[in-house]
Amino acid sequence: MTTASETKTKRISFNRTIGVAAMQGRGFYYPWAVSVADDGRYFVLGRGSDSDPRGTRYTVMNFEEEYFGTFGAFGTGEGESLWNTCTAIDSAQQLYQTDESLHRIIVRNLDGDLLNTWGEHGAGEGQLNGPAGIAVTASDELLVVDQQNGRIQKFTGDGKIISSFGESGSGDGQLNLPWGICVDSAGDIYVADWGNDRVVKFTADGGFIANYGSSGRGEGEFDAPASVVVDEDGYIYVADWANQRVQVLDSNGAFVQLTRGESNDSKWAQEFLDANSEEQAARAGANLEPDIEFNTDDPHEASAHIEKYFWGPTHLALDNDGHLLVVDSNRHRLQVFDIS
Amino acid sequence: MTTTMTSEKALMAHLMRRAGFGASSEELDRLVEQGYDETVDQLLDIEQPNRMSDNIIRRYHSEYSGMMGNLSAGANWMYRMVSTDAPLREKLNLMWHGMYATGYSKLANGKVLHDQIRMFERHGMGSFKDLLIEISKDPAMIVWLDNVENHKGSINENYGRELLELFSLGVGNYTEHDVKEAARAFTGWTIGNTEYMTMKSARDSVWPYGRLSFHFEYKADDHDDSEKEFLGRKGNFNGEDIVDIICEQPATAEFLSRHIYSFFVADEPPVPEWPYKPPRDPEAIAALSNIYFESNYSIKAMLNYLFKSEFFKSDTARFQRIKGPAELVASVLRLTEEFEKPDISMNPMSQQAQFMGQHLLSPPSVEGWHWGTEWIDSGALVERVNFASEHFGNLDAPGVETLVNRILDAGDDIAPEAVIDRTLDELAITEISDNSREALIDFATRQSESAPADQTRRERVVNILKLAGATPEFQRA
Repeated sequence: MTTASETKTKRISFNRTIGVAAMQGRGFYYPWAVSVADDGRYFVLGRGSDSDPRGTRYTVMNFEEEYFGTFGAFGTGEGESLWNTCTAIDSAQQLYQTDESLHRIIVRNLDGDLLNTWGEHGAGEGQLNGPAGIAVTASDELLVVDQQNGRIQKFTGDGKIISSFGESGSGDGQLNLPWGICVDSAGDIYVADWGNDRVVKFTADGGFIANYGSSGRGEGEFDAPASVVVDEDGYIYVADWANQRVQVLDSNGAFVQLTRGESNDSKWAQEFLDANSEEQAARAGANLEPDIEFNTDDPHEASAHIEKYFWGPTHLALDNDGHLLVVDSNRHRLQVFDIS
Repeated sequence: MTTTMTSEKALMAHLMRRAGFGASSEELDRLVEQGYDETVDQLLDIEQPNRMSDNIIRRYHSEYSGMMGNLSAGANWMYRMVSTDAPLREKLNLMWHGMYATGYSKLANGKVLHDQIRMFERHGMGSFKDLLIEISKDPAMIVWLDNVENHKGSINENYGRELLELFSLGVGNYTEHDVKEAARAFTGWTIGNTEYMTMKSARDSVWPYGRLSFHFEYKADDHDDSEKEFLGRKGNFNGEDIVDIICEQPATAEFLSRHIYSFFVADEPPVPEWPYKPPRDPEAIAALSNIYFESNYSIKAMLNYLFKSEFFKSDTARFQRIKGPAELVASVLRLTEEFEKPDISMNPMSQQAQFMGQHLLSPPSVEGWHWGTEWIDSGALVERVNFASEHFGNLDAPGVETLVNRILDAGDDIAPEAVIDRTLDELAITEISDNSREALIDFATRQSESAPADQTRRERVVNILKLAGATPEFQRA
C-alpha cells in the first residue's frame, strides 16, 4: 500500500534487495548493522543468540551480492560476542563492533583478524553500560552510544577516553536509551534517542542543537528510532524502528518522505527459489500483500504479514556510491535505496 | 502443620498463588489493606496491564521479535508472566494453552503461536462462545488440527472432533455423526495463502526472508452450505452455528467448569479420565455451571464467583495444587526480580520450564499436559528444587537482596526459629508441615553453630532461602 506522502516528494527510491535468511554462511541471520569498507564491501553484523549462535557473525559481500565469507562467533571468549549491536570502519580500515551485553568493543581488520578488545562495564568515565551505536569522526575518533548511562562517549580507536556528553532524561540534550549515532560532513552529531522518540542533534563538542520529531505514527513523528544517517546534502534518514519505516527529513528536520519498504527477491533469494521449484511455485501463487484487518495498530503486525515491508529496521548506512542501506533485521536482508 | 500468617494474609497469599504467580510479603500486606473482594475485582478488571513493553523485549532479543524458532515465543511469554501487573491474565493464558494445546512441531513458526496466546489474552476472560469462535479461526489451530484440509465434499474431521472432545463437550456427549457434521460446518475455515504457508511449515523453511505470519481466511466457495444435523438440531449450519449449539449444552458448562476448577482450585484427574471419574467437588461444578448460563457464558463471571466462593477460600483447598513448571519459574523470578530489564539469560531461564516437563508452545499432543502430580517425577523434582534453590541463592538478584534485608531487619540476635518464620513469611509460605519447619530450624541451628568464620549472616540467610524454596509447600500453590 502506498500513501500519498510516500509519493509526493522523492528523495529516495527503491533499488534492490540484498541477502537471504541463512543460519550460517552466505546470508544473514538477524542482521543488526552494516558498515562499508573503502573497497565497497559490506560488513553485515548479525545478532544471534544462544538458541542459534551461528547467527553471530559478519557476512561480507557487496552491492552485487558477491560473497566473500564470514567471521565472528557467539560467546564470551576472546573475539567472541553475545549481543552484537553496531559496527563502523575507520580510515585505517579497522572494523569496530559493539556488544551491549558484554559492554565491550571488538576491533578487527577486514580479514576478520582480532586486533583488540576493550571496554569496561560501569558508569564511570570511560566505562560502558550497554554500548549501542558507534560512529567514526573525520579525525578517526570513535563516538560510542553508552546506552544505559544515557550518554555519548568519545574514544580513541584503542579505547582511551577523550570526552563524553549527555545524560539520562527527556530534556534538551538528555537521552533515554539512545541507540544509533552518526556524524555529518560538518562534524555535527546525530543520535537516535530511542526512548524519547526523537533525533537529537549535537555539535561536535556535544553542545545541544536541536530535537527532531516527537512520539507518534504521523509524518515526522517517531516510535523508538534506532538509527540515523545524514547525506552530503544534509538530508537526515531515520530508521523509525517501531513504526517499521524509514523517514527522510530535510536539514532543518522537516518531513520529506517515508517508506514502509518495497522489498523484492534478491539475487540470493532467487537462487534459492530456482533450486526449490515447488516452493517457488507455491510462492508465486501466494498473495504476499494480503489485505488483513489487524486487531492492533502496532505496525509490527503488518510487517509480520506483508513481506515487502521493513520488519525491524535496526540500522542505516550510506555506501560509497551513495546508496542508502536499510538493515531489515527480522527479514534477514538489506533494502537498498537510491538517493536523488 | 504450622500457620505462619494472619488468616487474612494467608487467604490473600492463597489467592495470589492461584490467580497469579505469588506475591511478596510486602505486596500481600498492601493487598490485605485493600481487601479481598477488591483484589479479586482488580485482578479481573485490569484492561491495560503494565508490563515490560514489546519494544523493550524486541530491541534486545532479536529472536523474540522475528520468532522463527522453537524457544522464542515461549521466552517472550515468560517476560510477560514475570513482569505483568495483571498476573491472572497470564495465568489464564496458561490454562487456555493447556486446554487448546497447539505446538511448534507442526507449525515451525513461533510468531503464529505467539499470536494465539495474544488471542487468549483478548478473549480469555470474555464470552466462552466468542473464545470458541476465535480458536476456530485461529491460524495456528487451523494448521495444527488440519482444518486447512477440511474441504467441501472431502472433510477432515480432526478439528471437528477435538472441538467436541477436548475443547467443549467432552467424550460421551456427542456421536460420530455429530463429529462429521461439525467438520462439514467448518469447511472453508482456513488460512490465507494456504499452500505456501503450509509448505513453509512442513519444510521448516525460513527462506527467503524468515517466517510469515498466518491470517484467517473464510473461503465461501469451499464451504459446505447444505443442511446438517448436529446434536439433534437441523439447519444450514456454519461454524458459528455449531459453536452456538455447543455453548447451549449443559455438558459444555460442566466441562468448562471442571477445567477452571482443576486449574484454579484443586487438581482433577487428566481429562481422558473424566467420563468415568466424577468431579472431586460436584457442587462446585454445578455452581460454576449455573454462573456460566446466568452470565451468558461469561468466563469472567465464572472466575469472579470461583475466587469469592467458600470452596476456593477453604483451608482444605490451599497448597493442593502442584505449581506447573512455567508457573514455578515465573513465581521464583518475580520474587528474585532478575528480569527488571531484558537479559541474555532469558532463553536458558525459559528452558528451565522445559527441563521440568513443560516446553511452552510445544505441548506433547493436542491433549496438552497432564497437570497435578504428573508434573513430579524424580528428574523433574530435582530440576524444580535446583531451580528455586539456585535463584534464591543469587545475592546479586535485587529481589533476593530485598528478601535478605527484610529477614535481617529483626536485628542481630534472633533465634533460628524466628529467622525461619520470617523467611517463610517473606516467601508467603503461609502454612508449613511440622516436618518441613523442623528441618529448616534444624538447618538454621546447625548453621549458626558451625558456620565457617568467614560466612556472613547474609550468606546464612541466603542458605535458608535456598532450602525454603525446596520445601513441598513452596513447590505447591
